[in-house]
Amino acid sequence: MISLTINGQTLEVKENTTVLQAAEQAGIVIPTLCHHKDLTPYGGCRLCSVDIQGMRLPATACTMLVSPGMVVQTESPALTRYRKTILELLLVRFYDAGYKKTNGALKPELDSQFAYWVNYYGIDMKKAMAHEPFRQIDSDPNPYIWVDKNKCIMCTRCVRACAEVQGRFVWTQAYRGYDLRIVAGADSSMLQSRCESCGACVAHCPTGALDNRMSVKLGHPDRTVTAICPYCGVGCQLYLNIKNDGMGERVISVDSNAKAPVNGDHLCLKGRYGYDFIHSENRLRRPRVRKYLLEGTPRPANRGPWVEADWETALNIVAKKLASTRERHGGESVGLLTSAKSFNEENYLMNKLARQVMGTNNIDCGAHMIRGSIVDGLIGSLGLAAMSNSMDDIANNARSILVIGSNITENHPVFGTRIRQAVLRRKAKLITASPIFYNIEEYATLAMRYKRGSESALLNGLMKIILDNGWMDSKFIQERTQGFDELKAAIEKVDLAHVSQATRVPVEKMKQAAQVIAANRPCSVVWGADISHQGANADAVRNLANLQLMLGNLGVSGGGLAPLRSQNNSQGAFDMGGLPAYYSGYQPVAEKQSHKKFETAWGTELPSRPGLSAPEMMYAAEQGALKALFVIGGNLWSDETGMLTRHALENCEFVAVCDVMASEGSHYADVLLPGVSFAEKSGTYTNTERRIQLVRKAIEPQGEARPGWQVISDLARRILTLSGRAPDGSYAAWMYATAGEIMKEIAALTPIYAGVSHERLERGDVLMWPVYSYADSGSPILFGTTFPVGKGKFVAVG
Amino acid sequence: MEPEVKDLDIASLVTKVMDELGSTRDAVIPILSEINRALGYIPAAALPEIRRHIQAQQKQEGVFVADSHLYSAASFYQMFSLEPLGRHVIRFCESAPCHVEGGREVFDTLQRELGLQPGETSADRKWSLLTTSCIGVCSVGPVFLVDDDLYGNVTPERVPEILAKYQ
Repeated sequence: MISLTINGQTLEVKENTTVLQAAEQAGIVIPTLCHHKDLTPYGGCRLCSVDIQGMRLPATACTMLVSPGMVVQTESPALTRYRKTILELLLVRFYDAGYKKTNGALKPELDSQFAYWVNYYGIDMKKAMAHEPFRQIDSDPNPYIWVDKNKCIMCTRCVRACAEVQGRFVWTQAYRGYDLRIVAGADSSMLQSRCESCGACVAHCPTGALDNRMSVKLGHPDRTVTAICPYCGVGCQLYLNIKNDGMGERVISVDSNAKAPVNGDHLCLKGRYGYDFIHSENRLRRPRVRKYLLEGTPRPANRGPWVEADWETALNIVAKKLASTRERHGGESVGLLTSAKSFNEENYLMNKLARQVMGTNNIDCGAHMIRGSIVDGLIGSLGLAAMSNSMDDIANNARSILVIGSNITENHPVFGTRIRQAVLRRKAKLITASPIFYNIEEYATLAMRYKRGSESALLNGLMKIILDNGWMDSKFIQERTQGFDELKAAIEKVDLAHVSQATRVPVEKMKQAAQVIAANRPCSVVWGADISHQGANADAVRNLANLQLMLGNLGVSGGGLAPLRSQNNSQGAFDMGGLPAYYSGYQPVAEKQSHKKFETAWGTELPSRPGLSAPEMMYAAEQGALKALFVIGGNLWSDETGMLTRHALENCEFVAVCDVMASEGSHYADVLLPGVSFAEKSGTYTNTERRIQLVRKAIEPQGEARPGWQVISDLARRILTLSGRAPDGSYAAWMYATAGEIMKEIAALTPIYAGVSHERLERGDVLMWPVYSYADSGSPILFGTTFPVGKGKFVAVG
Repeated sequence: MEPEVKDLDIASLVTKVMDELGSTRDAVIPILSEINRALGYIPAAALPEIRRHIQAQQKQEGVFVADSHLYSAASFYQMFSLEPLGRHVIRFCESAPCHVEGGREVFDTLQRELGLQPGETSADRKWSLLTTSCIGVCSVGPVFLVDDDLYGNVTPERVPEILAKYQ
């Protein structure tokens, strides 16, 4: 610790603290412009200059490290004059054309950091600035980012943000003297200069020279609400800016915030700019039913025309159809598809609706139509199907990272940029393996290109090399694993020349990759859609577990297995029992104890045989065995599954869908119920690293749309009433006033979520499951001392 | 303006220069300097070529170079040009010592004789007139360079005879 005095106040701070950081700790504000806490200190603008005893001239607090006995004065008449002069000099080469609605002297901090300090030091910006624009306003065609270099003060925060956050190096300082300016690439447009439109430069700009194009002229928001991004599994926190434009409240822009737990001040293109769907004209605003349902006539072949209806009518139709299908053909004739886009609370209710109300285990996540290998692959080997280490841990501590089958910088952009930074800033070794070129490869030490579908063989090859060279972790294998001898016997038979033929990866490359991974432990293995999109690829997942068990990379910081979940709540949908064989928290339906537990809680008999997976449901529907389908939040229609789902849905007697918009899949629906977007309801998502996060309702639902959890509860009550049933159990009822009440039920019935509550999340507790009690703060790293299966299982894969 | 040098020539020149000077990030300034010397300017197409060479060489070390890095260096130094210049380049010192010794009159004469504003190249591509900061020979100011030739103690009267030396 170092002791120093700032403004007469003595304080102790850690070594390598800057004067600015020390002052912050003491609650003393020093004006800054070029400084940002996430970026390398620059010392360019000089605004943070302070007097340090024994120094002839003021020193920049952002770059000056504290030293023992240092005496700092942050305010004096001379320093005020000094700072004022700096600002006046910056204003000589600054011009604000006034297109942005500003608050002037009233609330300049809302205009920009620069405007705030200009006002603070009593400068009239309009008088002191340049008299005319000296550069083109709106000078870059980027569709999301607004560039006005008249407002640039050359603080280089954008240059540093692009390099140190996004890792793209779009912005740079070019020319010199009076001509000095920021340019993109070789003075071309941003998009021609590697820009990914993440908006990091905008978020870090202190003047408004870089701004959000879509909202630059919309003025300041009335209020801001914290939410979680509805796109990928990374789970970035974002801030929805809301303004009443006379036509009701709208989300006018999205901001990042340096305090966000997963992403800090960073977001990607999707999270920062992909919010316009909330107010899209294509939103479903009233329930729609097919005309034949109102007329009581047989269903026409193409299901006939749509008619708008009130909720009462629509819900009664759905409840009647589902109840009568169950009565006539049994529970197994009904299927439920839940959603990786819906809240945990909604997924849990879908699992309860299927099992308690409909009497079927035919429930799966709609996204499983094309992926399910993660659960199958990992549960058998380790006992839990989830990312073992947090993203932070991988980005900060892995010495090498194997990214296999993942277009990570597009599919999980913010995590992708963290991996880029691990390479750029701390020289972590990155090995990539992919069937086609993915951008992350640019940053790789070594890139392997394999034939799609041959992942498992490739991993056998790598393990063969590791075993042949004795690079395995024998101690870990002995103490923590089982089945090594069988695996070893199988791997010994592997012929590298054959592997090379099957994968099209040269043997030499495999050898280099294995060597890098073995020599740079801990290694973290990250994989994505190329592996998890293929049902048959559970083998590849088992082999990834084999590799990490062999290298002793599990249960340690910087190691682990990282299946990246595609959707914002793919993990949560699994966790909540959106699976044909498991209740919430991976409690097997076929296991007596958990079966009994849920029968008691839900007060009714439950089917004990695992139900149909999503693809199996589609097959059953095509064959006529599955008669009715209830789908929440998700378009079943995707390129991969087009034909299968089309035939299945055409053949299904009754299909009801609750979603925010009509989609291609809606052609085959009989009833469409308008759901709400993430901005219009409160609840929780679980991100790819098992982090449970709260989304807060920001605006009222569009039109008559309702939150999914209300729709599901309402339906459940109607179906139970229609069939004259009244299950009796501690959690049998369907009366929920808020999503928070549903979470209480989840916590009571789901050990790994036992300590989760909306109150804890609201308080800011970081919760990464397993959270076994309200006192438990969760586990950023799994498998520290043991695996849920006891010893980690090697499972040989041919 | 028609391109001075074909892209193909640029690629082979960059390869040659980088073979000599090394394909590393550390060598960027000598590389740019050599290209500027060989062609009289640094063509835009040279930057991605340089980037590709460094990337191929240094990727394993985690070194990353983008066009923006190279452009930043190429645009910063006054001895580099990003545009093709005339056959002969005049660099006139505009620093204070030359100025007090009568530099302004010399510069006015240069502009008048050549019919060029600072930064311009003549239509026949014979002359480019540039200004520069101090070139370190203040004792004989005012000074200017024509290509690599230094002229000191220049007076307005001497300007035509100096220019006449060049074809």
